[in-house]
Amino acid sequence: MKFKLIYPRWAKLARQTEFHLPPHGPVVFAASLPEDVEVTFVDENLQDIDFDESVDMVGISMMLTIQVKRGWQIADFYRKKGICVIFGGIAATLHAEETAQHADAVFLGEAEGKMEQVIEDFRNNRLQKFYNALEAPPAIETVGPARRDILNKSLYNYRGIQMVDLVHASRGCRFNCYPCAVAYLGGRRFRPRPVDRAIEEIAGIDNNRLFLVDNSLAQDTQWEKDLFAEMIPLKKNWCSHPIEDDPAVLDLAAQAGAWFVYQAVFDTSDYIRERIQRYHDHGIAVEGTILLGLDRHTEDFIKRLVDFLLEIELDLAEFTVLTPFPHTRAWDRLHKENRIFSYDWDDYTADKVVYHPKQMSAERLQELLFYAWDSFYADKPQQVRMFELFQKVIRKEKANGTFQPRDRNLINQAFGRPVKR
Amino acid sequence: MQQLIDELKTKIIDTLYLEDITPEEIDENAPLVGGDLGIDSIDILELVMMVEQDYGVVIDNKEVGEKVFASVAALAEYIRDNRPQTADMSG
Repeated sequence: MKFKLIYPRWAKLARQTEFHLPPHGPVVFAASLPEDVEVTFVDENLQDIDFDESVDMVGISMMLTIQVKRGWQIADFYRKKGICVIFGGIAATLHAEETAQHADAVFLGEAEGKMEQVIEDFRNNRLQKFYNALEAPPAIETVGPARRDILNKSLYNYRGIQMVDLVHASRGCRFNCYPCAVAYLGGRRFRPRPVDRAIEEIAGIDNNRLFLVDNSLAQDTQWEKDLFAEMIPLKKNWCSHPIEDDPAVLDLAAQAGAWFVYQAVFDTSDYIRERIQRYHDHGIAVEGTILLGLDRHTEDFIKRLVDFLLEIELDLAEFTVLTPFPHTRAWDRLHKENRIFSYDWDDYTADKVVYHPKQMSAERLQELLFYAWDSFYADKPQQVRMFELFQKVIRKEKANGTFQPRDRNLINQAFGRPVKR
Repeated sequence: MQQLIDELKTKIIDTLYLEDITPEEIDENAPLVGGDLGIDSIDILELVMMVEQDYGVVIDNKEVGEKVFASVAALAEYIRDNRPQTADMSG
């Protein structure tokens, strides 16, 4: 049986340097398919879909809300041809009802242990409209290595530099942050993978540079310490979401190859200043993720925040505006207060204001978003800062003997497309 | 000076893993970036690190970088003029 897995394209953030990482959802999903299903993968951000290829079933994997309309379009096309389409992934789960109108089936939640039944139902022509695994996620011990072999690795390469590979060591999140849908998607119980299983997967990835995509590693101190301790001998360098603010944990993380973290910076407090300083003290760089437009954010606050980011010497910053994704607390509140003025999912890019902020007009917030990008990168441009971060990892690799030179055969390509140098 | 230029040619080949190129094939007065060697801005990043580590000369400014990496001869001259005195053995 031929299963074609498609990852719909979307427009990248304005002002951010364009890059493409190998998607994680599709490769995790592919690992859950029965062995006799032959799976091929297309990342539409980097490749055209061959709609004429003969397939038995199409799977559309969607992570982001801005993928859903394109995903539905692709599905409509295949279904007109009589080919069965199933959806899955974070955005398919968040937009399940609407997605069902374009689907033979929608899979909600985590797929491990569930796909045998789905494929059997398909073969017996009794596919259900919804398969909902949200209430009963698979036992975390059953999560095995992702199927990275379905990726065309050379596409995730910038002029000979291989992008990081993605991996996760846990699911769920005990926090329930205002803008985040993880509480709905992955449950509020933190579910760490057994350290040996996570380590086995990490060790098997043919890449020195990784992105641990766990929601937040800072949820279970002992597990975090055990994971980092076991990672030390692997000599990988990696980025991740927050690491626990504990000197012993940060020390182990640094030894385990922590390269930089994505850390939300939400105010100008001494706590944040010291938090960033402690990362830096351990040689870990910080890319701040800065969300603008919360109800307490005034124009003055946003300007002060940008000055603060420069003061605390953040290595990189990514600015977005609050976006009320379905199944988040932000959605519940803004929807209830009738403050959302666009329900066009293509506008949910996180760089377009789709609601009425409390302290200013939507237009003003939009201007301040660009002010933030421009001011932060005025003296030291984004590319220079990215180069510095890149130098950091090269230094670490040269120090521990794991440095691999660029692939000079791919030097004239960026993400599969020819580049002028 | 010529000794430093020859040394740099070898170091450039080693640092960037340039296959099929010998030191003799590098023209010290030709543009280093965008020329026949296929060196680009990412390579320059690695060369900046090599120069810092091997010669103690820091190049942390884009404008200076552009001048310094104009050619192997320009790079040698910059290193000669800016390296710590005690390490200046190659003349």
